[in-house]
Amino acid sequence: MPDWKQEIGRRLARLRLPPVREAEIAEELAQHLDDRYEQSLRGGATQEEAHRAALLELTESDLLAQELGHVERPAGREPVVFGGQRRMNLFRDLWQDLRYSLRALVKNPGFTAVAVIALALGIGANSAIFSVVNTVLLRPLPYRDPDRLVMVWEDDTKGGYPRDTPAAANYIDWQDQNQVFEGMAAMAEESFNLTGTGDPERIEGRRVSASLFPLLGVEPQLGRAFLPEEDGPGANRVVILSHGLWQRRFGSDPKITGQPLTLNGESYTVVGVMPPNFRFPGEEAEMWVPIAFSPEAAANRGRHYLKVLARMKPGVTLPQAQAEMNTIAARLQQQHPNENKDLGAAVTALHEYAAGDIRPALLVLLGAVGFVLLVACANVANLLLARAAARQKEIAIRVALGASRFRLIRQFLTESLLLAALGGGVGLLLSLWGVSLLQAFIPQSISQVKAVSIDGKVLVFTLLVSLLTGLVFGLAPATQASNFNLNETLKEGGRDSAAGTRGNRIRSLLVVAEVAVSLLLLIGAGLLINSFLRLRSVDPGFRTDKLLTMEVVLPEAKYPEHAQRSAFYTDLLRRVEALPGVKSAAVTTNLPLYPQGNSIGFSVEGRPDPATGRRPTVVTRVVSPHYFSTMGIQFLQGRPLSEQDRADSPAVAVISETMARKFWPDGDPLGKRLTPGKVEAAGPDDWITVVGVVKDVRQFELDAEPKPQMYLSYEQAGFFEPNDLVVSTSVEPLGLASAVRKAVWEVDKDQPVSNVRTMEEILSGSIARQRFSMLLLGIFAGLALVLAAVGIYGVVSYSVAQRTREIGLRMALGAQAGDVVKMVVGQGLKLVLVGVAFGLAAAFVLTRVMASLLFGVSATDPVTFIIISLVLIIVALLASFIPARKATKVDPMIALRVE
Amino acid sequence: MSYIGSHILDRELKKGSAELLILSLVEEQPRHGYDIGSLIEQRSGGVLRFNVASLYPLLYRLEKRGWIEGRWVEKAGQRRRRYYRLTPAGRKVLAAQRSSWREFVEAINRITGLEHA
Repeated sequence: MPDWKQEIGRRLARLRLPPVREAEIAEELAQHLDDRYEQSLRGGATQEEAHRAALLELTESDLLAQELGHVERPAGREPVVFGGQRRMNLFRDLWQDLRYSLRALVKNPGFTAVAVIALALGIGANSAIFSVVNTVLLRPLPYRDPDRLVMVWEDDTKGGYPRDTPAAANYIDWQDQNQVFEGMAAMAEESFNLTGTGDPERIEGRRVSASLFPLLGVEPQLGRAFLPEEDGPGANRVVILSHGLWQRRFGSDPKITGQPLTLNGESYTVVGVMPPNFRFPGEEAEMWVPIAFSPEAAANRGRHYLKVLARMKPGVTLPQAQAEMNTIAARLQQQHPNENKDLGAAVTALHEYAAGDIRPALLVLLGAVGFVLLVACANVANLLLARAAARQKEIAIRVALGASRFRLIRQFLTESLLLAALGGGVGLLLSLWGVSLLQAFIPQSISQVKAVSIDGKVLVFTLLVSLLTGLVFGLAPATQASNFNLNETLKEGGRDSAAGTRGNRIRSLLVVAEVAVSLLLLIGAGLLINSFLRLRSVDPGFRTDKLLTMEVVLPEAKYPEHAQRSAFYTDLLRRVEALPGVKSAAVTTNLPLYPQGNSIGFSVEGRPDPATGRRPTVVTRVVSPHYFSTMGIQFLQGRPLSEQDRADSPAVAVISETMARKFWPDGDPLGKRLTPGKVEAAGPDDWITVVGVVKDVRQFELDAEPKPQMYLSYEQAGFFEPNDLVVSTSVEPLGLASAVRKAVWEVDKDQPVSNVRTMEEILSGSIARQRFSMLLLGIFAGLALVLAAVGIYGVVSYSVAQRTREIGLRMALGAQAGDVVKMVVGQGLKLVLVGVAFGLAAAFVLTRVMASLLFGVSATDPVTFIIISLVLIIVALLASFIPARKATKVDPMIALRVE
Repeated sequence: MSYIGSHILDRELKKGSAELLILSLVEEQPRHGYDIGSLIEQRSGGVLRFNVASLYPLLYRLEKRGWIEGRWVEKAGQRRRRYYRLTPAGRKVLAAQRSSWREFVEAINRITGLEHA
């Protein structure tokens, strides 16, 4: 008998079938040809004729290969038995899995859309938050060896300032005595009135050590940095401009260096322009001049006003630097027992300082978006499980065709990863949009806000998150789908198989997890919302509506005498109060809710001077008489400051209730006297008489308890200069801004006005960080809630679909719609309650990490826990009620006819 | 041009009805490929004939769709042969194809005015 196999093999060659399959086909076809051949012989044909007849069967050889090509898959499609080409197959398989997956996804656009949207939201939120974390917490600061840069503070924990700005003499001692720092630099805030060319303008600047720029490792783009000799009195009339100011005010003049500039009425020479992105964390300075301590300033240990930067020597660690500073601070305490009592030193990494107090909020948010992604994963896994159940027939066929379990898992994982990749892609687009949204939300005090962007690290992060996501939500359905009984499935009505039940169990577990995680997030958000509401309802101690504020800083060169400045303000306030729409106006050294301000130490008459200890300090504001009525600060006792409290009349003070309570616990501070020096050294003119007591005002932050506070008259207290103007209006405050500005220029046409804001803006700015965390966590929790609701809906309606027959039967037997609803909703509710139990337990443990973000509520606030749980249960009930309603619409006859 | 057209039409027609033919033949009992091919030729009185090149791809296609299931069967003293049997899914498809074929034929008959069978 002829050997047909060779003939057949030749024709199949171009299909490149797996060897096993090819052999099988060849065997089958060869048998056919054998049969044909024998039949022909039996019919009386010669061997040659029979041979030809058999071969005719293959004549349309093209057709054979072509037709088989439609049906058979090239090698590698089926599991390789004989090995040999393993790696080749791996890639070819992958490619085919991808194509197959893509087709499967395209065929089911509804499923694909829901899954991709859920994943995109989860991944997008993660990428967006990560891009902020990356910029604010991870990305190195744009200086040379930024890891070695630290901030050094005075540690006045006893006085309530664990990170206090150092005094100049302490800074200089630190610098001289330490062995751990390569160098140190000091900065002091100072604003400059720029006059001469164009409108007078007030420009935020810094007095800095000449060592600052070399320490940071940043060079001016134009000109040079300060010379060491310029950092001394007499030689310090030089200025470096920011790139922005140079562009804005000087038209990017390339010949700016060497030119003179009038600042605060004195002439300075421009020596350099910084590069465009140069910025010191937390500072908005537009120009820098040398700090050049005078001998008096260099010896002062009482004025704490510097920010100190240091660069650790290579190999020195932060704890080592801290230890060294502790030693030095202890020595200084001994040498200066009065000024430095209880005064330590604290070293913090510059990047930590730059991240500011947003760090815990960002970490909590990063955790929260992680949870949102988990919920999204659970949802998609649920969708996939439901779909896998529907695809059991398809899987059965593939198994019957010889696909191995491993092969099926891989196929399913490919599909999941493809979904995750799609989700990641859309998520990345979402995060682009999210980042610009975040930039609007992040408190501007976070220095690197503007630099937040999607960089390579964020892309890698997104990629990894997407892959991980695909694995997480793909693994369960893949193993579940591949692990089933072929015969059961192939049998008619195999849908009640064990695998189905197991699938239901996994789906239920996923919903429980979703509910638990959502509850955790919701409780977190609930706590923040609760905190925020409490923060908003804190009585700041003053009115916040219809108040216009602006800064009017008088240059010392033009107004060297205290009397001149007083006269300016008296004239200005008279003019402003005469404006229509203005109720009253006042000036003050600092508005409330500003994180800095002056304090003075004082002694009380009739009490012994504290021997070696420091005198008590009190937050001191120097104000004009109408300050209290303008700000709406309530009087408890005595009288406000008045126009009669002039420079030549006895000095008076209004104090806050906390100060009254602390220093005159008997309740009668009025008429008592105090002095800002030692009692024994006080002359007759050094005494200040308490004439009034007002309610507390939140001076620094809304969530910080008020400290003792004292108000002095601007005419009597020459040591602090008012520079904030506040105007109480009967109309929309900003509408009066230009009129008030004009009033300033009527008094002095060269006087700049800056920072025009309403008190409401100041208030809202002061709680920007809290609003940021609350809004974002709220959004994420809401997202999780929606996803969980969709998950519950999915599971319940899937089970309703599965139980159509049972429900129909029940209704045929007389069950009422109410019974069916109760049954279905009850099933959903059971899952939700289990989820809530787990969620509450998790929240109880995990919300503690948020403690630092909360205000006025405990991390385990029972009210929040209960209300949020109820909200979630109600949403869950609604989500299972919809499919329950649908279940009651089941027509018993149709239900029974199914199958 | 017309040759290619009729060639393709012929093939498509054959393919369309061939599924029905094969499914019908394995409905009652499992059969191997040569058996199926011979039966088609026999029962159609030689009008319909599938050669190897067209029959087996069809079988594999049907198998891949899960309508029929092939299995190597060895009988004492014989070479092993691949027998195809109808799967439950195939049974449904067969029922559906049968009724639509019947409708199709009736429709054609009504149009072409041929006698009702």
